[in-house]
Amino acid sequence: MLEFDFLTPNRLDESTAILEETGGCILAGGTDLIPKMRNDLFFAPILVDLSNIDELSFIEEKDDQIVIGALTTHQAIAESALLKSTNPALVTAAGTVGCVQTRNRGTLGGNIANASPAADSVPPLLVYDAQIRLLNKAGERTMPLTEFLVGPGMTKLESGELIHSVSFSQLQGAWGGAFQKLGVRNGMAIAVVSVAAAIVLDASGKVSDTRLALGSVASTVVRSPKAESALIGHEPTPEVVSRAAEACAEDISPISDVRSTAEYRRHAAIVLARRVLEQAAAEARGRLV
Amino acid sequence: MKSIQATFEINGHEVTLSSAPNRTLLEVLRQDLGLTGAKDACGGEGECGACTVIMDGKAVNSCLVFIGQVQGCSIETIEGLSGNGDLHPLQRAFVEVGAVQCGYCTPGVIMASKALLNENPHPSDEDIREGLSGNLCRCTGYVKIVDAVRIAAEQQPRR
Amino acid sequence: MTEETLTLGKSELRKDAWDKVTGAAQYVADIPLTDLCHAVIVRSPLHYGRILGINKSAAQNIPGVLRVLAAEDIPGNKIFGPLLQDQPSLAIDIVRHLGEPVAIVIADNLETARMASELVKVEYEPLEPVFDPGQSLKPGGPRLHPEGNLAAQFDIQDGDIEAGFAEADVVLENTFSVPRISPAYMEPENSLARWNEDGLITVWVSSQHPFTDQVFIADALDLPVEKVQVKSAVIGGAFGGKEDSSLAILAALSAWAVRGAVRIVNTRNESFLAHPKRHPALIKMKLGAKRDGTLVALRAMSHMDTGAYASYGPAVGIIFTETLAGSYRIPNVHFETFVAYTNSPLSGAMRGFGSPQSHFALESMLDMLAAELDMHPLALRRKNMLRPGDKMFTGVVVNDTANSLPICLDQAEAIIKRFSQIEPAPGKTVGVGMALAAQSMGLGAKVPDDSTHRLEWSPDGDVYVHLGSPDMGQGLAMAAEQVTAEALGLPYEVVKTIPLDTLTSPNGNVTCASRMTYMVGNALIDAADRLIQQLLDEAARMMNFPREQLSYQVGRVVCPDGQKVDAAEIASRVADDGRTLQCESTFSFPYPEETTPQHLPIGMPHVIFCFGAQIVRVEVDPEIGNVDVTHLVAIHDVGRVISKPAVEGQIEGAVATGLGYALYEEMPLKEHQQWVDSFTEYLIPTTKDVPLNYEIIILEVPEASGPYGAKGIGEIPLVPTAPAVANAVYDAVGVRVKSLPLTPEKLIKI
Repeated sequence: MLEFDFLTPNRLDESTAILEETGGCILAGGTDLIPKMRNDLFFAPILVDLSNIDELSFIEEKDDQIVIGALTTHQAIAESALLKSTNPALVTAAGTVGCVQTRNRGTLGGNIANASPAADSVPPLLVYDAQIRLLNKAGERTMPLTEFLVGPGMTKLESGELIHSVSFSQLQGAWGGAFQKLGVRNGMAIAVVSVAAAIVLDASGKVSDTRLALGSVASTVVRSPKAESALIGHEPTPEVVSRAAEACAEDISPISDVRSTAEYRRHAAIVLARRVLEQAAAEARGRLV
Repeated sequence: MKSIQATFEINGHEVTLSSAPNRTLLEVLRQDLGLTGAKDACGGEGECGACTVIMDGKAVNSCLVFIGQVQGCSIETIEGLSGNGDLHPLQRAFVEVGAVQCGYCTPGVIMASKALLNENPHPSDEDIREGLSGNLCRCTGYVKIVDAVRIAAEQQPRR
Repeated sequence: MTEETLTLGKSELRKDAWDKVTGAAQYVADIPLTDLCHAVIVRSPLHYGRILGINKSAAQNIPGVLRVLAAEDIPGNKIFGPLLQDQPSLAIDIVRHLGEPVAIVIADNLETARMASELVKVEYEPLEPVFDPGQSLKPGGPRLHPEGNLAAQFDIQDGDIEAGFAEADVVLENTFSVPRISPAYMEPENSLARWNEDGLITVWVSSQHPFTDQVFIADALDLPVEKVQVKSAVIGGAFGGKEDSSLAILAALSAWAVRGAVRIVNTRNESFLAHPKRHPALIKMKLGAKRDGTLVALRAMSHMDTGAYASYGPAVGIIFTETLAGSYRIPNVHFETFVAYTNSPLSGAMRGFGSPQSHFALESMLDMLAAELDMHPLALRRKNMLRPGDKMFTGVVVNDTANSLPICLDQAEAIIKRFSQIEPAPGKTVGVGMALAAQSMGLGAKVPDDSTHRLEWSPDGDVYVHLGSPDMGQGLAMAAEQVTAEALGLPYEVVKTIPLDTLTSPNGNVTCASRMTYMVGNALIDAADRLIQQLLDEAARMMNFPREQLSYQVGRVVCPDGQKVDAAEIASRVADDGRTLQCESTFSFPYPEETTPQHLPIGMPHVIFCFGAQIVRVEVDPEIGNVDVTHLVAIHDVGRVISKPAVEGQIEGAVATGLGYALYEEMPLKEHQQWVDSFTEYLIPTTKDVPLNYEIIILEVPEASGPYGAKGIGEIPLVPTAPAVANAVYDAVGVRVKSLPLTPEKLIKI
């Protein structure tokens, strides 16, 4: 392992000041960063450990917005009653991250900043149009999460900046949300394909709003505008849902690697998209009055 | 590289040590503190669970914790489980059921089991499998491990 | 079994379990030594290349570095190998696989050794590698070893293969492939060595054969064998993969070179790259049968990839070839097996030792034939199964333990019926499949296989087992203690195993080949008998009774006057004379000349076989091809149960490894010609990947030559798993997958 200096700020403003001053790399849970550093796949001369910044670990509801602090662990998300009732897809996804040891350390902010196309927590955030709030010494900025994620391992996070939190609006009315993931094995599974969906139905049972996001099938987790537009304004019958799922193939560009082939990913993405949409639609129907 | 100081509690005792920051809790446990119960089986990738310890009440892979992150935390290792020589009910169950073969994964599995039972004293088999899915074992096929955790849980008083 | 036993068949507790559950057990990496140095191996970054030069100076000049060693620094034999002397301890002029040891850096701390190892400059001329065994044997390719690329070849025939196919009504031909598998024991390889002032070198190993390590080390260091002491540490799993000696040699070399203590611990990546794997193989098989299902001819032409060095490849090729006909009588066979060198990581011993490969092909073929003949797979197997007295194609006459086969099939029939009635989960397609398996025991005819163990009656009343072969985690010590306790009529608690030390322990030979309970048990029963005689001799002498008037009863000598004297007391008096009450016995694996065919190559034939069957129920997601093994029953004959939990443990662990073989384990080349070399990409089953419904049926058809009728169980339970899953998947979705693993991609049409 290469050498680095290790700084542990105790307050948020101290953290941004240190980041500004040193250009150091943020260490959150470390579940991705530490193995990468050990394998010399990543090097940082200065690590800024945020272990003591408790104020970045929270899940709260504020003005119809759900806000999750960047240092919230996957386990905390998986166990959150508030999230279970507002974004069940995210709860499901967080519960499938690695294993309990990983979930106890790994954080939402780290999962996002790591920018893996297979990041489990990202698809459920994208289908809620999540916003990401970034902080530096001078101030803060907020942008859509889709914009923040640029490519594998690449984000818009700038030197001196940290992720403060992620927020999204609660879905209203007859809504449903779901997440499914396919791994090579059941335990400690890394997604071969993952899909999240959200559907909102109007009073007549037609789709008034929907989003579909897919993991491990492009250079970032991606939304599928084609699938979404195939659903809007229609009743989510099996035929409509199937067609929408098929349409997502045009929005993805999977590759072959040691876990699977591009062809299989494309096929499985369509199947999973259909199942996730059906699950979300069924849940939404249950909320129709 | 500046060395750092870390003060933390280990099996009920406070320790302060100074270390290069690029060392993990696992390395410090094994090399500095002589606590060799936690093992390295995957090369520090968090893929095997053999180095599992309990950190502030939660199971973690000690290979994925830099020593600086342990400052102020409470760490429990397998060596702290059978304090005065008596086996912990989990340890006893592992011995009695025959859940131990080569034993290399055992300390990590038992610590993950302990963390599981702390949070969920009466887990279903599915809960046990979920709670131990980060701990690889090549000898047992997990059957007797799951049995041992179930038996240890049954011996705990119901709430 | 209704007969009363003291400890046999009971659920005794393993005595090593206490240290293992408290973290006190000392594996090689845990042993504290003062002034310990650490060594890191400089490994080849190339699959194949010529070494043009090694520049040690940059590394050598780092403060804290004691020595940098290359092949030239080995004082004795620079080459070793368990069967063929073909493997350099440190590369000589050529590197033949990625990760091959080229040099070794010894420093006073691990970090320094690691850092300095990157400063050893090795200049290479890259050469074009070959990874396919068939390709490797074609003319014109690279010549990897002076004698060519064929490590071993077997051509075995019986009957008249052409006549056999001529009388067949149905002939099937298929090609099967099986991947490279890592034993993936949790403890990576390691070794620790200390040079002592008196010139003795002490080496701690995690090894299946410390006595061979001792010989290799002495040979490499040009020392007399008695100057090398090898001690067995607690072993964190082995599964065949720790029959390889490389790190023990390098640790000893390092300690010798620095006149100190040196530890080497492999990382997981190093373990993947540089230690033996299960052989990948390509098997072309042709099977002929009569319309009524009678098997008449079987031909197989197989290529096995033994990688850069032979390791145990030639012996694996033997068992592979010998098990190609499985548990069946087939009158006409012709098997050609080629074990080829390539530039892949070396393949050697791993649980099953050739049998998992042959059985995947054969047991798949049988189900395909059953489908072709419109017969039930069980009926086809029943018709052709071996029966006691049958002559196998090797000429070996099957003994009475083949009586377990019809029991396996009868049980399987009921289980298949039961499984077929379980409703599938919504959206899933269900299938049930089974496979039979045969696994040989022992090292094979004409291979010396003597196993010596010693019993000692200590003055404190305990009986010590000086086990001459290491317990690699499977529970050999417990079996040895139980057999000894039973034979001496003593409680299990007072019989204790002494860790192996080549200076003081007898040579029990390598722990492998499903034969340890058999060898150790037989030796110890004999040792116990003779220990009792010795006890009575001593007692007679001490107490002046005629020898024939004394008798032995549960740890005591009974005198003619009815007085009973504790064995401990006699042992104590013997100790007062400066002697020890002890007895050693050697058991040699029996290959009786009159019944063992002599026409076959060395290592063939094997004469005792284990049999078993597994039945699995799978649920397949027909859209995405995911296979979920929901139910599994493993039926295995162990001759006689010594320890029930240990037998179950062997089956449970092997089945999980078999499921990994069936469903996802493989170690392929990935992008940039790198091998899959970590647990991130090489996936083994977790708690969530083993069936929820698991049943074990243990049969006890006694093996006449075994201790109390016992035989082996270490390997066979992973042999039928993969073909049973493949057969169940075919039953579920009608897709016949002929290459392992059965990944979802292979099950669906895209």
